[in-house]
Amino acid sequence: MRQVKWLSLLVCGFLLSAGAVGILESGAADVFLEATRPDFQKISLAVAEIRNVGGPDWLGGRIEEVLKKDVKRSLVFDLVDLPGLGIKAHDLGTGMESGAKAVFKQASENGVAVLVWGNAGLKEAGTDAGKDADVSMEGLVYDSGSDEVIGGKRYVGSPSVLRLMAHRFVDELVFRYTGEPGIARTKIAYVAEHGAARELFVMDYDGHDARQLTADGFLDLMPRWSPDRRFLVFTTYRNRNTQDIDMIELATGKRWTLVSLGGLNITPALSPDGTFLAFASSYEGNSELYLLDTRTKALQRLTVNPSGDLSPSWSPTGRELVFVSDRGGGPQVFLMGSDGSNVRRLTFEGDYNAAPVWSPRGNWIAHVCRTPRKEYKLCLISPDGQKRMQVTTGPGVDDSPSWSPDGRHLVFSSTIDGKSHIYMIDADGKNLERLTFEGTRNSAPSWSPASGG
Amino acid sequence: MKKILCACGLVVASVALIGMPGCSKKSVQSGGDSQSTVKAADSSKPGAGSLPDTGAQSGGGGLQGLNKNPSEERVGNGTVVAKADSSINAGRQLDELRAEQAASAALRDVLFGYDSWAITEEGRQVLTRDAEWMKSNQGAQVKVEGHCDERGTSAYNLVLGEKRAKAVRNYLVELGVGAKRLSVVSYGKEQPSCNEHTESCYQQNRRGHLVVKAGK
Repeated sequence: MRQVKWLSLLVCGFLLSAGAVGILESGAADVFLEATRPDFQKISLAVAEIRNVGGPDWLGGRIEEVLKKDVKRSLVFDLVDLPGLGIKAHDLGTGMESGAKAVFKQASENGVAVLVWGNAGLKEAGTDAGKDADVSMEGLVYDSGSDEVIGGKRYVGSPSVLRLMAHRFVDELVFRYTGEPGIARTKIAYVAEHGAARELFVMDYDGHDARQLTADGFLDLMPRWSPDRRFLVFTTYRNRNTQDIDMIELATGKRWTLVSLGGLNITPALSPDGTFLAFASSYEGNSELYLLDTRTKALQRLTVNPSGDLSPSWSPTGRELVFVSDRGGGPQVFLMGSDGSNVRRLTFEGDYNAAPVWSPRGNWIAHVCRTPRKEYKLCLISPDGQKRMQVTTGPGVDDSPSWSPDGRHLVFSSTIDGKSHIYMIDADGKNLERLTFEGTRNSAPSWSPASGG
Repeated sequence: MKKILCACGLVVASVALIGMPGCSKKSVQSGGDSQSTVKAADSSKPGAGSLPDTGAQSGGGGLQGLNKNPSEERVGNGTVVAKADSSINAGRQLDELRAEQAASAALRDVLFGYDSWAITEEGRQVLTRDAEWMKSNQGAQVKVEGHCDERGTSAYNLVLGEKRAKAVRNYLVELGVGAKRLSVVSYGKEQPSCNEHTESCYQQNRRGHLVVKAGK
């Protein structure tokens, strides 16, 4: 990896990804580049040190670790190692002292665009006995382009929000340099086995702080976020015999039943403006797609044919839906207008393509593809069908891809390590990261939108 | 702060441009890690009242930008997640499941091929015996569960499971069992009877499972 850096980044990036993920057709250089973003050059960023100023000795180091992982995952920054560049950077203080200025100069000369440092400590414990003392964190940012300390943040909060402080700081960095809100404070909803039941859980985007949201005692499946990320819609089995589509408010656990029809009622997805719920139901015979207007509760049928239609996913504009149909035999990915017009088949490669999800940037649709070796892997296809690539390879059944709100990552479930767990991967097939380690069956991840707290 | 307002405005404007009907949001949810009030969950009464608005989006995500002289920001809990109330349902459904299984001991499962919902010759023989049992136990209401192996997507396997369950129901009706005594439900790959990643295990999971319904 180290050698690669000094060669042409583009060429090597392409060669590496071609080897790792197996691009399916020529013109693959475009495929690789656009999988993240066209002509986006990562900004080199170094984290000098989060110094401990009081509090337990692990405090600064813990924040630094979270910070660095977030920086790497942002894919906006290229995390560079200062000691690796021969730069010793400790105690940069406020960045105004001559020692700090010498470090800035050195870093700048070595191509570091952004230098981050800070400190962390405990606030004075209050008189309130039994209450933990607050944690404080300060982060400062030097920008070598403008050769100045461009600013910083000071956070305070309970020890339980330690990781969130680091996440928030990295989102500020991403926002500063791209205008995007960042993904470090996003959440992932998923289904986990709890006893013999499947319940909804929500965790941080890096797999930490998992919380159980439902305790229905049987099967809750396929959660999807509302655009304001206050709610999840999902399929729940009532008395094991029928399926409803429910909505739950995260903060309160309050429930609403949106769809209560006979037969299958699965794969709910709220439109980008939150007004319409697209879902599949078999209450009129076989599985068809419907739209529910959540204000008027009017139901509109979108598909009419004797085969199974399911798994609708909205384009970012809300004008189109991508979905699965087995009208040609096996399941394949189709597109149509969100009023059911202009239906056309998108996937023709392979005999099984399912679980499509439209990227937030609109330029890719991720889906599960069955390879010639009958492996269930993740693939990408552009909405015009012109570009395709396989994202994951190897053993294990991959399922339920869901995009990060920045369109740079996918979260999905896989049995690659035996039991089903949740994984994250860059859209170009790099940096596979396992997120769940507890339990035996974690599935159906759904990545939250980026806005909000 | 100015930046956030600008970003919010942009989102509202772009939503309006899209021209989806009913874009009448007047208030924009402010972002930030502010804490919401947590109320006691009431999951026993779904469907009450009108639905809340779910579409409001904030642009900056509560970010306030880097400052040269930053003031102290208190970081709250971010997205608050209500604690699941396990007292109501946990255990009850699974107890009922066990009771159903005990009452269904006389009925046999029908097995299916990979990707298939066709009833095999062996399946027909099994169903012939199941139909005879149903004819001599006229009071029994039977639920046909469609199951799949772990391969394939969770969503499509629910559709495949329903096709299997309906194939079983239709064949039982052909054999003279009253359609009103039969209901179908698909569990897709969510309730496997066997958890190994082997073909023999996959075969056991590709099944139509017949259950005598207990209660409603």
